[in-house]
Amino acid sequence: MSVMINTTINGQAVSASCEASTSLLEFLRDTLEMKGSKLCCNTGECGACTVIYNGKPINACVTLAADANGAKITTIEGLADGDKLHPVQQAFIDTGAVQCGYCTPGYIMSVKALLDRTKKPTQADIEEAVSGNICRCTGYNKIVDAIHLAASKL
Amino acid sequence: MEYFEPKSIGDALSLLSKHGTEAKVIAGGTDVMVDIKFKEEPGCLVNIKKIPSLAGISESGGALRIGALTTIREIETNALVREKLPVLWDASRQFASLQVRNTATIGGNICRASPSGETLTPLLVLEANAVLAFSDGERSEPFLSFFQGPGKCAAGVKGLLTEIEIPIPPASSKGVYLKHAVRGAMDIAMVGVAVMLTPDAGKSNVQDVRIGLGAVGPTPLRAPKTEALLKGKPLTAALVKEAGALAASEASPITDQRSSAENRRWIVEALTRRGLEQTWKAATGKEVA
Repeated sequence: MSVMINTTINGQAVSASCEASTSLLEFLRDTLEMKGSKLCCNTGECGACTVIYNGKPINACVTLAADANGAKITTIEGLADGDKLHPVQQAFIDTGAVQCGYCTPGYIMSVKALLDRTKKPTQADIEEAVSGNICRCTGYNKIVDAIHLAASKL
Repeated sequence: MEYFEPKSIGDALSLLSKHGTEAKVIAGGTDVMVDIKFKEEPGCLVNIKKIPSLAGISESGGALRIGALTTIREIETNALVREKLPVLWDASRQFASLQVRNTATIGGNICRASPSGETLTPLLVLEANAVLAFSDGERSEPFLSFFQGPGKCAAGVKGLLTEIEIPIPPASSKGVYLKHAVRGAMDIAMVGVAVMLTPDAGKSNVQDVRIGLGAVGPTPLRAPKTEALLKGKPLTAALVKEAGALAASEASPITDQRSSAENRRWIVEALTRRGLEQTWKAATGKEVA
């Protein structure tokens, strides 16, 4: 059976219907054609699909699309201001924290949520914030460098 | 697949009675969504997230009451839990990743009834109760008899876990949850051990000790023989060693992709020793000698 979703994504009111079993990730990627959030493990283990749901980072792949009803969701597409990248996005480029890039949108959303919670994150805060994100190119040191750089610029 | 969002416990119970084994309850979704995508869709999905009375943490009558929809992150960041139930706090902060903790609920972790569920051994050692709603009334079930096997619990297909009722332990009691896994975050525990220890008034003997073993049996277990061995005695290094070996013998682990049964017994031994040493030091200010 199909369900109607009325939600707010990146500040825009969105209404669309989908099958009741649809995940939030499938709703974003397949129903709304927003391909920035990545499909990878589809089991909530890798963090490539991380979006910010009512202020909190979550895995969109294990969230029911119906739970987006009435929620405020921020995705990677909502960060840049026109051509001007968000400071977290710019920091990932400036430190070379992107290799194949598949995990990058998920990392950036986890880091955005972290810097929304705390302006001066400790090393422990950083490690906790991205512990649910996996980079299979294993470029973790550069990612941590990017987070420190982004924190210094915000 | 049919889909419902009941607004009350009564409406949810009616749906579960009507649809029986076709119905699946979903809350956070971190386990159920994986089943939907990789196993099969249930005939009917009952999303209980819109039932307002199932959320929140409160203290009354010497107990902490945690609504079934409370997320693991809410438990981890709650000052009452951290102060009064350190063993549950300790487990919640070692639970999966931040993304999962923001979504996963304690009710879901419990009703999944996985022997490795992070909050389960803490609830066993806290001697907490599950408040279950059925169409013919409500009842309280101790967690000691709640878990019936992997994926099977006293809520059955027609009941709903509404609340977890946790008696607050004496202030002198200390608790830890120790988890052994390969990856720091996300990994399912190879073994989890919860220890809660209360010293006597002179802080010279163990007055009460409770040991919970996770991922080493079809359900989370207590280690009653080990607990009996320790009660009324000063915690010496020799006694800790003996307790670790006894706890390993009380476990009934299997070999799977995460660990061999033999390795799991060694880890139970090590974590039991470590848990006893840590709680003894926290409770008495003394190292185990």
